[in-house]
Amino acid sequence: MTTKKTRLIGLGNSILTDDGVGVVVARRLQQALPMDCGLDIVESEVGGFDLMEMLVGFTHVILVDAVQFDGVAPGTIVRIKPEDLHTSLRLRSVHEIDLPTVLGLGKELGYAMPESIEIYAIQAQDMITFGERLNPCVAAAAEQVIREITAQAVS
Amino acid sequence: MRTISIDPITRLEGHGKIEIFLDDAGAVKNAYFQVPELRGFEKFVEGMPVEEVPRVVTRICGVCPAAHHLAAGKAVDAVYHVDPPPTAKKLRELYYSAHYVHSHIAHFYALAAPDFVMGPDSDPATRNILGLVQKLGVGPVAEVIKHRALAQEIQRMVSGRATHSVWTLPGGVSKGITEDERKDIIVKAKACLEFAKGSLKLFDDVVLANKAYVDLILSDTYELDTYYIGTVDEKNHVNFYHGDHRVVDQNGKELLRYKDAEYLQHIAERVEKYSYLKFPYLKAIGWKGLTDGKDSGLYQASPLSRLNAADGMATPLAQAAYERFYATLGGKKPVKKLLATHWARLVELVYAAERLLELANDPEVASPNFRTLPTATPTEGVGIVEAPRGILTHHFKTDEKGLVTQANLIVGTTNNHGPISMAIKKAAQKVIKPGQEVGQGMLNMVEMAFRLFDPCFSCATHSLPGSMPLTVDIIDERTGTVLERVSR
Repeated sequence: MTTKKTRLIGLGNSILTDDGVGVVVARRLQQALPMDCGLDIVESEVGGFDLMEMLVGFTHVILVDAVQFDGVAPGTIVRIKPEDLHTSLRLRSVHEIDLPTVLGLGKELGYAMPESIEIYAIQAQDMITFGERLNPCVAAAAEQVIREITAQAVS
Repeated sequence: MRTISIDPITRLEGHGKIEIFLDDAGAVKNAYFQVPELRGFEKFVEGMPVEEVPRVVTRICGVCPAAHHLAAGKAVDAVYHVDPPPTAKKLRELYYSAHYVHSHIAHFYALAAPDFVMGPDSDPATRNILGLVQKLGVGPVAEVIKHRALAQEIQRMVSGRATHSVWTLPGGVSKGITEDERKDIIVKAKACLEFAKGSLKLFDDVVLANKAYVDLILSDTYELDTYYIGTVDEKNHVNFYHGDHRVVDQNGKELLRYKDAEYLQHIAERVEKYSYLKFPYLKAIGWKGLTDGKDSGLYQASPLSRLNAADGMATPLAQAAYERFYATLGGKKPVKKLLATHWARLVELVYAAERLLELANDPEVASPNFRTLPTATPTEGVGIVEAPRGILTHHFKTDEKGLVTQANLIVGTTNNHGPISMAIKKAAQKVIKPGQEVGQGMLNMVEMAFRLFDPCFSCATHSLPGSMPLTVDIIDERTGTVLERVSR
């Protein structure tokens, strides 16, 4: 049996229009890629402590999520690293913990945290309207991310 | 006039912003708390089979999906005019008690505790859960993670999923638990109760034993004089899942109480042009703007308000903690000191763990009789639960086939919209003085006023952060020029 050490997590809210793009990418890849491709694919609508538990035991993790950067055109794919999200020294979320804190806490607690994390961040057009369809520019970006990850997985 | 804008407060669970308006002398004139409210929920669920709604609404919020699931589930029972059997009600309450355990643990340790363990004006770099690891050691923080996960595991065992449950059905639930699972839940609930007791002790040791912190709690920087709402059982004890919704006044006297279906007779929502989020208020008193006192219909809906609106707790250890809470904070009700909300949350944590254990010890929760099939034609229904962040109301109307024609939600944080805005303004006025540079510690003192409510800004988006999570813009109002920007 192959031990899957790479995990892809599609993050987002599947009922808030473009916020669901990470979930869409995860679902499409689950359908497109063979089971034995070496990539463990999950979708998640939660973050914080729950995300920490999802990272444990994987050496490499790919996160796909929607973002709202200032001055970036909707549908743009931005490649960032977790440390880029350390834009603040304080708590990010009012409820729980941000991604760099997730990684730091996991290490402090002695969990097997990933050696590397890559992030596909897709600029959303609308993430406050209830809806299950992506806007076209975001859907196109999702297709591109799917193609890139598929190419990596099968190579 | 200058504007100080704390924007955005967060990104992971929606984003909001605080704007503080300074007059020409540099004194705080006003403060607003703004959130981008989600749009189109009613249209989204229109035409949907109403029994599907509890499944969908869990996705409204990544933080309190269980609260939405149960409020919608109760509303659907009402739409179908069906009363779930005792096992279903007990299982739902058991599941919900577990939710409270992990939700209150997460808030206290990730957000509240760092302000006290590290200090309100400590270096922001350490004022977080990693700072707790440095200060308290790995062991206690590992216990936090462990018990939060235990409570989530109970939710998974009961409902099939830890988050985003697909469990409530009109008249009950889709699955029950086995006797073995019940015994397993007892073991986990006992551990959660011990942890909850330890958390109260930590509050004693770190906060109550420190005169500076007690003085901070008792100071008038964090104080409001509003009405309080909370759900109570037949003995007027706090209940999270069912009961009457009771409102008490500034002297702790009952103003009114209502059943789920009667909420529209008592609660109205004010729309203000500067905010997407509405301001709920009590119809009996009326809207008087963002002001507190007896003549203003604003009410708080929080752990503190639940304690204030009740006469006690239904379980022994929580009752003892409740009595100590009031004895320590002046000996009378209601407690108006907002920072006491953190302590109230821990009293509730003990209650949730005790209630969890109590329900797990009841053999009836493992009965296979967990559903009553509905037979009546669906019409309209309201379901209300106490979400960790305040009372949560779901209201649906359907056609005779059970397809949704109208929907209305009033979520926990919305109830507190007025009080949060007032609390921020009051803290800002006390902390920010004319001619003084606005420092990090000051900003945190202002943020503490909103953080104690544990607000869920828009109950939803999970996007990664896009810009600086906290910027302070000082703007010349006449020209719109940004005079100064402080970011961290």
